[in-house]
Amino acid sequence: MNATDWTSGGLFLAIGIALIASGSVFPAGVGGLPGAGFFPQAIGAVMAMLACALLITRGKKGAADSIQMGNARQVAGAAGLLFVYLLLWGQGLFVLRTAVFLILTMRFLGQRWWPATVCSAALTAFAYLAFDTALNVSLD
Amino acid sequence: MIPEILAGLTAVLDWQVLAFLVSGVCMGAVFGSLPGLPAPMGVAILTPLTFWVSAEQGLAMLLGIYCGAIPAGGIPAILINVPGTPASIATSWDGYAMTRKGQAGLALGINALASAAGQLTSILFLAFLAFPIASFALQFGPAEYFGLALLGISLMAGVSGKHVLKGMLAGMLGLALALVGLDPMTAYPRYTFGMSEFLDGISFVPVMIGLFGLGEVLVQISERHTATGVQAATIGRILPKAAEGRSMIGATFGGATVGTMVGAIPAAGGDIGSVIAWEQARRTAPDKADFGKGSLRGLAASCSGCNAAIGGAMTTMLTLGIPGDAVSAVLIGALLIHGIQPGPLLFANKQSFVFSIVFLLIFASVLIMAIGILCAKPLAKILRVPAPWLWAGIVLFGTVGAYALNNAVVDLWAMYAAGVAGFLFRKARIPLGPLVLGLILGPMMESNLRRALILSRGDWTSMLTRPILLVFLAATLLALLWPLIRRAFGPSDSNHRPTLDA
Repeated sequence: MNATDWTSGGLFLAIGIALIASGSVFPAGVGGLPGAGFFPQAIGAVMAMLACALLITRGKKGAADSIQMGNARQVAGAAGLLFVYLLLWGQGLFVLRTAVFLILTMRFLGQRWWPATVCSAALTAFAYLAFDTALNVSLD
Repeated sequence: MIPEILAGLTAVLDWQVLAFLVSGVCMGAVFGSLPGLPAPMGVAILTPLTFWVSAEQGLAMLLGIYCGAIPAGGIPAILINVPGTPASIATSWDGYAMTRKGQAGLALGINALASAAGQLTSILFLAFLAFPIASFALQFGPAEYFGLALLGISLMAGVSGKHVLKGMLAGMLGLALALVGLDPMTAYPRYTFGMSEFLDGISFVPVMIGLFGLGEVLVQISERHTATGVQAATIGRILPKAAEGRSMIGATFGGATVGTMVGAIPAAGGDIGSVIAWEQARRTAPDKADFGKGSLRGLAASCSGCNAAIGGAMTTMLTLGIPGDAVSAVLIGALLIHGIQPGPLLFANKQSFVFSIVFLLIFASVLIMAIGILCAKPLAKILRVPAPWLWAGIVLFGTVGAYALNNAVVDLWAMYAAGVAGFLFRKARIPLGPLVLGLILGPMMESNLRRALILSRGDWTSMLTRPILLVFLAATLLALLWPLIRRAFGPSDSNHRPTLDA
């Protein structure tokens, strides 16, 4: 069984069924004219059919093929640090929290303290000057 | 006519006008190369600066930004697989593949040359065929727009290579994401979960940054100790060899023609134009297998296609007063501020001004080509930066760019979710291009289908009496059945079918 096709087929089938079900909650339309629920149900139906086709055709014949996550721990760590950074968005000074986030990320990815600090400071300063100062996007 | 042409040229040759044009092109290059700062935003932000100058000077700067931003959007698409503008999505398919093969310099050189060729070709269209093209676009009703969107969606099968089903499913997911927000016809809230932030729908730019930027960073982190990483130190030559140049001529001018026609259709800009141009070049190329894997023809077609949409959009804007894309919508506002009303009367009353615009676009095209070639080596050196620095920069500017669009935290989470999804999709070999195409075309497809049904009083069959729609439907059917036709009648080439892996 081809793991990537099986996983994605199952996921899309679930989304398709969810779209059909949720589309029935919206107004169906009047006098043959489609309402807000028409398009979600149409997309859901097509998606479910295509997902079934994927599960039937590719799932059978594919060679054993698992999803290669590679360096999963580093990916999870980097994504986790970004998650915390976004969670703290708007708290405190942009310059401070951004520099700390970048230093921690680069350290986590194997950079030494000194280059990580210099690079983080430069990137943070440039982003602040370009967006906050020049383009008037309030980052704090 | 000759005096008007000369008057238009004289007005443009003023040193102040040229200075505004140069500054506009440079600013456009900066805007285009930073994901999250698309061309419409650049033109909109800088329009107020033109209030205090003449119409020619102001328009020179704004057109410079427009012409500079679109080719510059290809630079991050080629170097780090993050399209700087939505129009550069197709550029990343072959451009980034070339970078991975150590041909970043050549990809940047082709981007500069093909972009200029696309812009110049479309400007010639503007100069000579403005009225016929604009009149054709004026015949489009809701049914035709639906047909155009359907054709775009059907092309997903083509751009997905051997993952056709997954590509179609990704496209459907893009259409589903486009459902979030108020229903375009009845303003009924859909999938907003009671949150006012979702009423306007999911912004396209944060999703694009997440899928192509953050997703790519996570993929590179996951593969950092494998042999599939970017060949960071190799830039290579900038200019193509004569034989390579000759092989790209057809794809470049074919892409330019497609891009111009698509750009002339209101609301259909370089993003759609480049995808259709790439696909059209792939279908007619002898080396189909190379498309999506670093094909010079594919890159040339996508670059010229997205840039040619500029001339097409300007044609529709100037002759009919209808914006061809988001930037020309902003440009109409800027022209009105200067007391110039785009439309057929402009061609009758201010012909010299129209020719000034044509010459400004020509100069801007040549300028951005020179800048692109001269700056290719320094720009490509970005690949020599240590990978973690580059990743940190992409994540930071992607995050701030996503936030800057609407000053909305919800856009940051949209970017984050899209980034994680982009990573997982790549790992599951689900193509990302169709998802983006679905997200772009979703609102256009739904609203025009429903408008067409309202106009036909719910009668589906009466829509089939419209010839332009029938042409689009036939092309859609051909695009969907093409893989089957090729399999049935073509050579046994299962090992050579083009693949556009996520």
